[in-house]
Amino acid sequence: MPRDIRLRALFWQTGTVLLLLALWQWAAVAHPAPYLPSLKPVALAYLSLLKPGNFMDTVFPSLSRLAVGFGVAVALGTVVGIALGYLRWLDPWIRPVLEYLRFVPTVAILPAALLLFGATDTMRIFVIAFGSVFPVLLAAIDGARRGNTLLLDVARVLKFSLAEKLFRVVLPGALPSIFAGVRIALSIGLVMMVISELIAANDGLGFYILRNQRLFQTANVYAGVLMLGTIGLILTLGLLSIEKRVLAWHRGWRGLSDARS
Amino acid sequence: MSKPLLSMEGVSKAYSADAQILRDVTFQQGTNEFLAIVGPSGCGKTTMLRCISALMRPDSGVVFHEGQTFDDPPPWLSIVFQDYNRSLFPWLSVRRNVEQGLRDVAKSERDDRVSEALAAVKLDHAADLYPWQLSGGMQQRCALARSIVSAPRLLLLDEPFASVDAQTRIDLQDLVMDICERMSLSALLVTHDIDEAVFMADKVVVLSTRPATVVEEIPIDLPRPRDQLTTKETPEFLHLRHKVYTLVRQQAQ
Repeated sequence: MPRDIRLRALFWQTGTVLLLLALWQWAAVAHPAPYLPSLKPVALAYLSLLKPGNFMDTVFPSLSRLAVGFGVAVALGTVVGIALGYLRWLDPWIRPVLEYLRFVPTVAILPAALLLFGATDTMRIFVIAFGSVFPVLLAAIDGARRGNTLLLDVARVLKFSLAEKLFRVVLPGALPSIFAGVRIALSIGLVMMVISELIAANDGLGFYILRNQRLFQTANVYAGVLMLGTIGLILTLGLLSIEKRVLAWHRGWRGLSDARS
Repeated sequence: MSKPLLSMEGVSKAYSADAQILRDVTFQQGTNEFLAIVGPSGCGKTTMLRCISALMRPDSGVVFHEGQTFDDPPPWLSIVFQDYNRSLFPWLSVRRNVEQGLRDVAKSERDDRVSEALAAVKLDHAADLYPWQLSGGMQQRCALARSIVSAPRLLLLDEPFASVDAQTRIDLQDLVMDICERMSLSALLVTHDIDEAVFMADKVVVLSTRPATVVEEIPIDLPRPRDQLTTKETPEFLHLRHKVYTLVRQQAQ
């Protein structure tokens, strides 16, 4: 992008954020209400969440559950999806179950998970993994199935083993599709993380928001919500940068970018 | 005692009852022989190549490689496909693509052999580029390097020059003949280009229209090395070209 267009975009982006903040501040000052604190206490609460003690009680537990649950979902979804996509004869057996499960609203799994695992970390990790596994799984199946069949012939001639075919031919070919699934899975994982912490929890961001709501600490509630947005943003940016690196060949191959970028 | 390198015996293949592709195909290829298979377009050349390479099993008839049958491609066989765009691993560099042609070879030896193969196809300067950074001719040379790096005994070429421009095609033809000569490789070229078949091969097998069967085997006794200009101007070349051309055209009618 040319420099002046980028600068203009930056100007409008910053401008929009500042405008929204100003609107908030104006509303809070002009119409004081307990449910709408002004910017200052919210900002202070937000910053205090980053203090080591609060961070370890609130943000860290959430992040570590998300990391494990989301990690399991990505790994499981990828491996199972690649295998199912490659072994086409399995498809008629597996597909109805998958198509059914994907339409079960993942939030509805929460009470069942609570019964199964109790109010434990395992329950929360399970809920996160359950919610985010399906987009990855379906994307991996799809990517593996639409893969390049000529390359599989090449692999046969070159004497690749089954594992090599799966992980060195089918998987790389399905990665563009898988990354699209992973991005969707991340947003679902975040939702499931918060929801799982709203029930019978004693730490984590979800718990923090819920408790402060009950205590009428509205500034803290908003600070927690903003923190969730920050986490989502940072994780998405991280994911995009990994994707950019891993899929450099794909962008070049598709001619979407030139050789230098 | 020596069995022919490749022997097709009465091979037939149909995709369904009314779509028979191959009918009773029989021919042999000797060691160090450059064989070309020509036929009208859509006559089932690719299906035949898949049967030869054991990527596909014929409905009846047998394919022997040195007297043996195979359920999977024999380890000494390699293929260059027409569609270089889809036959290279787009996520691997040229060097790593060629490396895939070498199985069970120690790392130190592998590097040397990959470099050799890349030099043979004049691609050593592009070893670290990715397929999408190469022209069509360079991509096909990369595929060729991958096919010869394992020093195969039989090189199958499935219309390998069909998707490149005329000048590149001529360069690739010379390159392939040169490599086969130097590495004493046997090659089986499937093509619809009669000039190319006569120019490159020791023997041309002419196929009929679908269902394809062998119409005639024509030995090409033009001296080697062959030259794009002088060989193609000799009366012998023109005579053979005329003969093959007439046969193929008769089939198409």
